[in-house]
Amino acid sequence: MVEAVGPEFKEYAIEEFLVRREPYYRPVGDEVELFTAAYHQHIPVLLKGPTGCGKTRFVEYMAWKLGRPVTTIRRNDQQELREGEVRVPLVTIACHEDLTASDLVGRYLLDAEGTRWIDGPMTRAVKTGAILYLDEVVEARKDTTVLIHPLTDHRRILPVEKRGTIIEADDRFLLCISYNPHYQSALKDLKQSTRQRFISVEFNYPPREIEAEIIAKESGCSPAQADALSKFGEKVRNLREHGLQEGASTRLLIYAGRLMTQGIPARRACQVAIVWTLTDEPELQRSVEEVASSIFE
Amino acid sequence: MSTVPTPDIEKELAKLPPAVLESYKAALPLMESSFNAEELLLWAKEGVAIATQTVRSWESAVEYHKVGPQVSKALAFPSFMQWARCGTYLSQDSPTLAVAFFHSSPSIVGNLRPQYIPRWAGLGRSLYKGTWKSSTLAAKFFEVSPDLIRSLPFWDVEVFVSLIEALSYKSYDVAVECLALGKDVLPAMGREREAFLSMTRSLAEGSWREVKTCLELAPRTLQQLEDAQTGRFLKLGERLAKMGLRDTARFLADGTQALAQVTPSAQGHILDLSELLISVAPEAVPAFLKSLENVLGRITLNQLDTWFQQGAQLLKENRESGIAFFKVESNTSEALLETLSSSLELERVKGVIRLYCRALSGSPIEVMNTKELVRKNIGWVDEDTASTDGTKVFLPPVVDHYLSKDENFAWFKVVSTHQVGHLEFGSFQFQFEKPAALFENRRIALEQQRGIAVPEQAVEPMAAEHAEAASEGQTQSFTDIGRFLHLFDNRKLAFDLFTVLEDCRLDYRVRVEYPGIRTAAEKVQIEARKGRPNIEELPLQEALVELLLHMSLEQFTDLPVPVEHREVAEMLARILHTLRNESANVEDTSEATLRAYELISRLQNEEQPEDQWEPEDLDDPGEFSEEDYQNLVDKLQAGQEEAGDQGEGEPYDSPEPVDYRGDFKPEMVQLLSKLQSDKNQQGDGPQLTKEQLEQLLQESAELELDAEQGDANQNMSQFAQNLMKEAGVPPPNAQPGQGYGPQLHDDDQGGELEAKEPRTYVYDEWDFRAGDYKPRWCIVKEKTLEEGEHSFYNESLRNYSSLLAHIKRQFELIMPESFRKIYRLIDGEDVDLNAALEAVADLRMGVSPDEKIYWRRNKIQRDVAVVFLLDMSASTAEAIDEGRHTTDDRDAPDDPVEYMVWLRRRREGLVRRHYKRIIDLEKESIALLIQALESIGDTYGIYGFSGYGRENVEFYVIKDIAESFGEKIKRRIDKITPLHATRMGAAIRHAITKLENQDATTKIFFLISDGRPQDRGYSREGVEKEYAVHDTHMALLEAKRKDIIPFCLTVDKAGHDYLKAMCGDMGYEVLGDIWALPERLPMLYRKLTF
Repeated sequence: MVEAVGPEFKEYAIEEFLVRREPYYRPVGDEVELFTAAYHQHIPVLLKGPTGCGKTRFVEYMAWKLGRPVTTIRRNDQQELREGEVRVPLVTIACHEDLTASDLVGRYLLDAEGTRWIDGPMTRAVKTGAILYLDEVVEARKDTTVLIHPLTDHRRILPVEKRGTIIEADDRFLLCISYNPHYQSALKDLKQSTRQRFISVEFNYPPREIEAEIIAKESGCSPAQADALSKFGEKVRNLREHGLQEGASTRLLIYAGRLMTQGIPARRACQVAIVWTLTDEPELQRSVEEVASSIFE
Repeated sequence: MSTVPTPDIEKELAKLPPAVLESYKAALPLMESSFNAEELLLWAKEGVAIATQTVRSWESAVEYHKVGPQVSKALAFPSFMQWARCGTYLSQDSPTLAVAFFHSSPSIVGNLRPQYIPRWAGLGRSLYKGTWKSSTLAAKFFEVSPDLIRSLPFWDVEVFVSLIEALSYKSYDVAVECLALGKDVLPAMGREREAFLSMTRSLAEGSWREVKTCLELAPRTLQQLEDAQTGRFLKLGERLAKMGLRDTARFLADGTQALAQVTPSAQGHILDLSELLISVAPEAVPAFLKSLENVLGRITLNQLDTWFQQGAQLLKENRESGIAFFKVESNTSEALLETLSSSLELERVKGVIRLYCRALSGSPIEVMNTKELVRKNIGWVDEDTASTDGTKVFLPPVVDHYLSKDENFAWFKVVSTHQVGHLEFGSFQFQFEKPAALFENRRIALEQQRGIAVPEQAVEPMAAEHAEAASEGQTQSFTDIGRFLHLFDNRKLAFDLFTVLEDCRLDYRVRVEYPGIRTAAEKVQIEARKGRPNIEELPLQEALVELLLHMSLEQFTDLPVPVEHREVAEMLARILHTLRNESANVEDTSEATLRAYELISRLQNEEQPEDQWEPEDLDDPGEFSEEDYQNLVDKLQAGQEEAGDQGEGEPYDSPEPVDYRGDFKPEMVQLLSKLQSDKNQQGDGPQLTKEQLEQLLQESAELELDAEQGDANQNMSQFAQNLMKEAGVPPPNAQPGQGYGPQLHDDDQGGELEAKEPRTYVYDEWDFRAGDYKPRWCIVKEKTLEEGEHSFYNESLRNYSSLLAHIKRQFELIMPESFRKIYRLIDGEDVDLNAALEAVADLRMGVSPDEKIYWRRNKIQRDVAVVFLLDMSASTAEAIDEGRHTTDDRDAPDDPVEYMVWLRRRREGLVRRHYKRIIDLEKESIALLIQALESIGDTYGIYGFSGYGRENVEFYVIKDIAESFGEKIKRRIDKITPLHATRMGAAIRHAITKLENQDATTKIFFLISDGRPQDRGYSREGVEKEYAVHDTHMALLEAKRKDIIPFCLTVDKAGHDYLKAMCGDMGYEVLGDIWALPERLPMLYRKLTF
């Protein structure tokens, strides 16, 4: 008998996805406390920061952390929950320019028998009390604000226009959006009326020592290598506004570290993971490579 | 019908072979249409005359009759007869000639002015020498004449014929061949033909055989040269030929090949060089040109000058070896090429180094040539040593220490890393009161101690100075470094120690932080050690400083140590080792300096006997302890007191500088930044006066002034002024923002003006006192700017390539917006399937469906028109880097070598100006802006303005708003130059008319200036500056009323005071850092329109 070895994967309904294993997250400031407080106080959270600095990881981590019954969460009926029963699913939606309100809320579908209503991911998150994470929210179409506004003020409701209903959000529901202030043109800025419904947590690339710690942990490279990589990252970020659009993200530094643990020489790893990723311009490439060759032996 | 000429003619002709009569009869009816009877008779008679010249001249007559009808159509009768008579004479000499003459005539007469016909015939005649061969040649000439005359000016034909004639004396065959060649070659030439002919003409005397080769080569070679240079090149050939050079053809071939290698402007330079050589040794020129291709393959054009210069020098000394040099057949030449080819010019790697430095330091550092720093004359004097003034890193222009480019580049890297290290690791952040990380703090205590000690020693001259300084209180130490160095009597020693120790700390930090360049750095350090003086031979104090220096260069073993002062040496080593620590900061360096100073200054600066030295390893001298140190100081103190006064010892001399570490001037840097920050918070706290600054500089240990005292004083004053300029502090007696336009004087007189000439316009001017317009007060003259080279434009784009890419990206980001599909529209190009399905589903559900089920492409497009108005006033000529150097074109030296130097300077001045003027930056910014604007397709116009007086406001069109961008515009940008004054109001009013006629939804008027508006009579009673400001304000307001958005950008740092009044609530920006202009301008525009 030959056993069929198929691909192994797990499939979840979107609102049932739970972060079960602790994601690695290294707090830099008080963001964990802030988020926790906001969560309990039903205050929506806006995460600002450049790409690859850990926003998404942070949300995952928070979903995991809040889901753990370390702190007990009081329900409306004042009943305490037993261990293991608190579940905070995480619904992540990457926004793009064609994402419309009905993509989020849901729509009627035609089938053989007639029509059928399908809940969109936002509706599901609202119903189950998940953390709804809208990544790069400014990319989404403007009509989504119609949904975000009632959900993010005291009302905490989701109007489903098509069905003529209103859904009150589950008590555990929290809306969290992210936004990268750097490459937004004025055209794509968040409106003040939207912004002012959130508390804003600013993210940046972590300070050198912490970033080194993160790189070492995530990539498994040696502390010395991690240290050099974070130093390199810091130097490259100095070149923003001098030709580079974005500095090297922590994510890229980790990639470089990973390549290094696989035996790729440091300079080469930096070249493919960072230099060539960041820019196509020969002079800039050369300059960044020179920095790399100064830092790495 | 005209009368038939008398039968006499026919009778005459009948005597001749029948062909003559036949041809006559055939021609006659045709001639009748052109000439009347009388004229016909003359024509016929001339035919008879021709036919009867010689035995065989009847042939000529046949030809004469044959072409007559055609020629008569082109020539009036008198000219015709003149022509005919020419033929008669020719046939007298040789019927063959006459036949050829007549034969070519029909195609000639149309192209040649009648009065030239005799000369033309004469040319052919001149070639005929009565021999058979010469008649063939002459006949050949007539044969090719139509081609020559059609495409050459007549005098060129004449020159060419004289050349052929000269050749014919040597060889008829060659002459014939050349004639044939010339027919093909010459017409193809342009302006160079004259020079070419003149050259070949001179060849014909000595080396006539080469003429043919030259003619053969010419078309192929000459077209490789820039038009303008061909003439000079041929002149050169001519001079050589006249001097008796053989093988001109070879020279032509080699020369063109060499010149074809380089850019047009470089061709000119190479010809300069060649002309120079000719005067020294003509025979070297071909050698030079021949090797050029090879040489330029190895070195750059700039380096070529160096190579050439050496060769010219050699030629003067020894002709033979000089020529061998230019043939690259000598060792000197080869060796020089070797060095030059491996050397690396800063220009080539500047971009990379600049970004490298910016990455490392995290601040917008500029990389510059050390020459610029020296030129500023603010205290730095050495052109070959790297340095930094805190915002810029200065590097030597060329590195040729090593034999490969990579190694030389590595040197640049090591040097710039060290310089940036000063910034990165905070050399200039020194604060007197900030505690050190590793040492105990003694600075403050020492200062107090000294403060008390001053009155007691007031007798000594040195201390007297201190007393004076102390009495001035805090103001005497403007910088923390200055305050620190004031702690010491021997400030030179203290400063040297500080330098060595700080460099040691930095090199260590660099070693740790950047292990990647450790290898290169070590190599440089080892080399630096090689040139050091022997420690044993120096007087004691200097020897100990040198010892520290060796250790700072990573040499710890086998160091000579004075036996008697072993303890001191070891203590010094401990102090130094303490700094070799990652947490050591600049304050630690100061503490270390203080301690090292206390030790060394207590020793006599005298040479030690040879046997008093012993080698020792100081790589691990043990931990530094304050207690041991104090004991040692006490011991030394005791020893000193015991020994009593033994005299001063030798005066202390600073150690030789270490090349790669460059000039370290922390006090200057702190002073500069202090001046700058003082200026930015005006009125806050005491400002440094020029006198105070001078005194400060006088006391500084960083300035070496070997000059006479008086001289030094003058220097100081100059330094102080330059420093203030550098820091942007207005020099005394200068009005901020005032350029040096013409003197203001009263010009209130006179009345209305009238525009009489084309392209002139009259505008009103606002008089703010009167509260009314002065009617028809200014005349604006619009002119199209002339065209220069397009290379400026292209070069700007190259220089800013990375910035350009950034800007373009920023602009292109907007583009997709205008092409995006929008969905869910009530009407559109097509049905949006998703929406339609939903609508159907809704219908089925009985819910009212969304009717927005269409999509279409977004038709909302940018509709922006903008006019840029550029200040071209005289003040924009101000160099951004002070210290303008002017070259005098008049006194070119005669000596070739000196001439070389002069030429090179001049060229640099023309091609790569070393200082930049405000206008240059304006120009570059415009170039970048155009790129950006072209990428988004906005309608735009670019204009410049200047002028003098109200009747002369010049308005230059660089790119008219309706014009499309092209080569022309690029060329015009080159010609933007500083002119006169700035009468802004009128210029703005005129610029606005350009915008008014545009029907864009957004109209923007963008003014770029460098100072306040001013012009002769641009004021009321000649004094009130507000007049100009108010008029300009009014002009801008007028723009606003016409729905145009005005915006002013000024690079005048003092701009805030009047711009507020000038622009009111309209947008403006004062650019503090002029260097940012190329970056800022497009970005500002972008911000303004999106």
